Amino acid sequence: MLFSERVFCGDLTPNDIGRQVLLAGWVDACRDHGGLMFIHLRDVSSIIQVVFNPEITPPAVCERAASLRSEYCVAIRGEVKNRATGTENPGIETGTIEVMATELTVLAESDVLPFAVSEKAMVTDTAPIDREQVSEDLRLQYRYLDIRRASMRRNLTLRHRIFQTVRSFLDSRGFVEVETPMLTMSTPEGARDYLVPSRIHPQSFYALPQSPQLFKQLLMIGGMERYFQLARCFRDEDLRPNRQPEFTQLDIEASFIDEEFLYELVEELTLRMFAAAGISLARPFPRLTYAEAIETTGSDRPDLRFGLRFVDVTDLFRETQYSIFRQILERGGCIKGFNVKGASSSLSKNVLQNEYAKEIVPSFGAKGMTWIRADNGGLESNIVQFFSERELQGLRERFGAEDGDVLIMIADPSYAVVTSALGRLRLHMAERLGRIPEEGFCPAWITDFPLFESTEEGGVTSSHHPFTAPDRTDFDPTDVEELLTLRSRAYDLVMNGEELGGGSIRISDREVQRKIFRALGLSEEDVRERFGFFLRAFDFGPPPHGGLALGMDRTVSMILRTPSIREVIAFPKNRSAGCPLTGAPSPVKREQLAELGLLNLNAQAATRGVSEEDGLDHLSWVSRIGFKAEERPVLVQGLDEAERLALAALEKAADIAADREPLYTVVRATGRTRPGTEPSRSELSGSGDLFKNAPSLKGDYFKVAGILE
Amino acid sequence: MESTFAFLNPEPVFQGSPHGGADDGYLRGLRVALQPSISVRDWPAEAGSVALSGFTALEDATVVQRLRQAGAYLRGYTRMSEFGFGLGGGEAGAALAEGADIELVLDLMGESRAAAARWKVSAFKPSYSLVSRLGIVGLIPSMECCGLVAPDLGTIRKTLQTVAGPDDLDFSLLDEETPDLSARTIDPAATTVGLIREAADGLSTERQEAFHTSARYLESRGFTLKELSLPDFALFSLVHRIIGSVEASSATGRYDSVRYGPRAPGARNWNEMYLRSRDAAFGTFLKSFLLQGAFFQFNRYEAFEAACRIRAQLVTEMANLCLRAEYLLLPTPQDTPPGPTVGAPADRPASLSATYAQFDSTLFANVTGQPALYLPPTADGTRPGFQLSGAALSDGALLSLGEHLLSDANGEEW
Repeated sequence: MLFSERVFCGDLTPNDIGRQVLLAGWVDACRDHGGLMFIHLRDVSSIIQVVFNPEITPPAVCERAASLRSEYCVAIRGEVKNRATGTENPGIETGTIEVMATELTVLAESDVLPFAVSEKAMVTDTAPIDREQVSEDLRLQYRYLDIRRASMRRNLTLRHRIFQTVRSFLDSRGFVEVETPMLTMSTPEGARDYLVPSRIHPQSFYALPQSPQLFKQLLMIGGMERYFQLARCFRDEDLRPNRQPEFTQLDIEASFIDEEFLYELVEELTLRMFAAAGISLARPFPRLTYAEAIETTGSDRPDLRFGLRFVDVTDLFRETQYSIFRQILERGGCIKGFNVKGASSSLSKNVLQNEYAKEIVPSFGAKGMTWIRADNGGLESNIVQFFSERELQGLRERFGAEDGDVLIMIADPSYAVVTSALGRLRLHMAERLGRIPEEGFCPAWITDFPLFESTEEGGVTSSHHPFTAPDRTDFDPTDVEELLTLRSRAYDLVMNGEELGGGSIRISDREVQRKIFRALGLSEEDVRERFGFFLRAFDFGPPPHGGLALGMDRTVSMILRTPSIREVIAFPKNRSAGCPLTGAPSPVKREQLAELGLLNLNAQAATRGVSEEDGLDHLSWVSRIGFKAEERPVLVQGLDEAERLALAALEKAADIAADREPLYTVVRATGRTRPGTEPSRSELSGSGDLFKNAPSLKGDYFKVAGILE
Repeated sequence: MESTFAFLNPEPVFQGSPHGGADDGYLRGLRVALQPSISVRDWPAEAGSVALSGFTALEDATVVQRLRQAGAYLRGYTRMSEFGFGLGGGEAGAALAEGADIELVLDLMGESRAAAARWKVSAFKPSYSLVSRLGIVGLIPSMECCGLVAPDLGTIRKTLQTVAGPDDLDFSLLDEETPDLSARTIDPAATTVGLIREAADGLSTERQEAFHTSARYLESRGFTLKELSLPDFALFSLVHRIIGSVEASSATGRYDSVRYGPRAPGARNWNEMYLRSRDAAFGTFLKSFLLQGAFFQFNRYEAFEAACRIRAQLVTEMANLCLRAEYLLLPTPQDTPPGPTVGAPADRPASLSATYAQFDSTLFANVTGQPALYLPPTADGTRPGFQLSGAALSDGALLSLGEHLLSDANGEEW
């Protein structure tokens, strides 16, 4: 058998009828019709039906075919035939033809599968195979089997196509792909670093890059002018859906450019990426300032696929008798809302009052919600009697209310509370009422972000990073109020309520950079220590430059409409940042730690008087035992003592015979079984006594504080 | 004066038999004091802990069921240290002066024996796995045991015979049949008692002298004394501290202020809820122990495994000593403040190290699971207090030895 003769299943068409072919791949499924044997043979291209017919196929081959099981790796020789009328399978691309086998080689057998790989039914009237029932961790543990499925292969292949598109497009625009180091210094991106210990420099660490930010700017100073990289980045962040500890980012930076250059470039690039999957988008993308986005959608990554834009009605109630509104306005508050057109039939009074006003909106951080239903030419609500006719008329006009509409309003002394709660409510209602179109992509640029945010200590911190250029440079770095009015030359690309990427024009003027650091309260020494090598480069004629980074996992996931970004990554980490396939992360041998100088780090640090407190704080956190400040000295002393006990135990254990196993119980472990009993419901549960000692209950459940803030 | 009982049985004592018991069971009328770590249905089983303040037991512990069935009268809950760890803050043993015939005292490090030494009564810590722990609020599952403290060994034996034995719901119990716990005759001439030389190391002069006096006393009663050596004796404390703290840190994980226990107010999320509630739930002393356990689990797991290997070694070494002598003689627990007064809780030692030092001669039995018996000194002080031990599950014989020694028959010269 020569694999050079091998053809792909997907290449065969009715034009090949009568041709002798050699196919190779995996048994997707088998069906035995009493002597007549059918299999689905799958390779990278497609699936084709192979028939073992005792009248044509040699008996030895038929015998071997009878032993075939799913996912055996096989090579088959045979003749392409037309399928008999009525036996076609429209579910597969080659459904009108089949291969009559004459030879069969089993290249490798397969164990029983942990889950079904096949996605294609052999007969048309069976239900499609439901992938959702397989647990994701199991899929990840056997990812290689998961990848055998056509849908996973399609995802990975299209990801490759999109990446190819990116490379060729940027190449055509004069961009050069440059690789930057993985083992590097910590960069100021704000998340936690993954650290890599250095063997040559004991107790010193590299950081894996959170982004190539500093290097790409150094490349600009190096005169590369147009750089890009499909860069792997690492962030040790808390668990959130759709985040990965390592992810791929398209990193772009260019010199002698302004925002318009990047908008054009990235819009054109986005169009081409989507086109690679057959989706056409229109240019130019709309632009919203940060303030507009918050004012009309309550979000800096607004979902623009549907309306429900906010309307401000504060001025209508300047003289209102409705005391709740009046008090809020007296405290400088505002009132905003949106009109849910034609929703009165799906949003009953009960849903609006008992679900939304009492439960959902308070969970979004606002104290309450006001609702009004437009019906029979009038407005009705539980509070409408408190509004004057002029106020009602004003609302009707402002919201363009017609019969069947539902008006939703939130009032609060804080602008931020009104916009953020209303923003979450907007998404909640759109989802519930099915107002979000399944199809369609709505990209937009969000611009003019605030340069700084205020901190609890009364200072400011950068909204993006400290190298982002401000909209003007004549500010006083000590005037916090003025600093908070500055806008940055930053921009985010958002789509369907998700941020795909963002970037900024960078500061290239030393003096401006100094002012920013001063505004951030960083001393010359802090700055030198953290960014010294980087700022030094700005002493040698840096060009004006700017750039952007796009999250490629998220972008590809959006283009392919997968439920999670893990579907477009070959070997992703699971939700707890682990890899079920390899078992990473895992403990390492003591020798490895010793070689890296990582043994006894705590003891060494303790002698330096640094981390004894870190040790206590960490252990307090992992064991969820808080402590009072006055307890600290005693507890720290206890941990020092524990370290001494540990060393004593290790030293003593070294003298014990190596085959002495640890003893966890003194009871002899012979025949430790109990006769089985039938499961039964505890009487305490039936009587409700089980709840007797609980500090807080809600119905038949123990009530706990929220998992997230 | 305040009662030594934290909670008294609201059911009146039956007025009919000498002790008021209603049944004609094996323990009829026996008045039993319990530590509040032992669940009695509808009683406030707070285990001396803020973590369980306000907790009402939903069911009887297995030992309580058996005591009731045998006709014992449950007198009430005594005051105990936080989860029974050490004697500080509790009044173990004091109930015997207030009308209880026996008290059940959780023995984690030797608490029942130390309490008995303080009150000049006897105490028995049964072999591990002989008595069910179901329904008992524990702290160190692989070492703790329900100790029995009483003035006379007959009461202890009858109570042990009542509460010992298989419990389908306690999976840490033996599979084997319950060993014979009945009394047997002791022939001193045919009995060897071993004396572990290193057990006297580091003791105060008084305790060393008392130890040697005990040995001479046994010889005077006709027993053969054999000097044995266990150079690793000091390691019982090391092993107990590491394994004990790890198990305690795991065992207290259940106090999450969800199913029971007070919840600290004002937490914004459940991590804060845990941190605050568990901050309030444990005293500084216990917190230090729990955080040491967390340290061994999270920062120094290899030290925990090392301790478990040393434990394996110690268990083997002690079992070998028990092949060379049927019984072992061990020193009395450390002297505790003299003149016990009802209502005066024992002073809490300042540190974990000091607490462990108090139990230097009792920890061995918790680490290996052997039974241990404490016998009090004679009133005239001629015979000091001491401990006896034997192989695991030799409880019946060990109690018989104690009974033999306490009987005056042959002891006139003492």
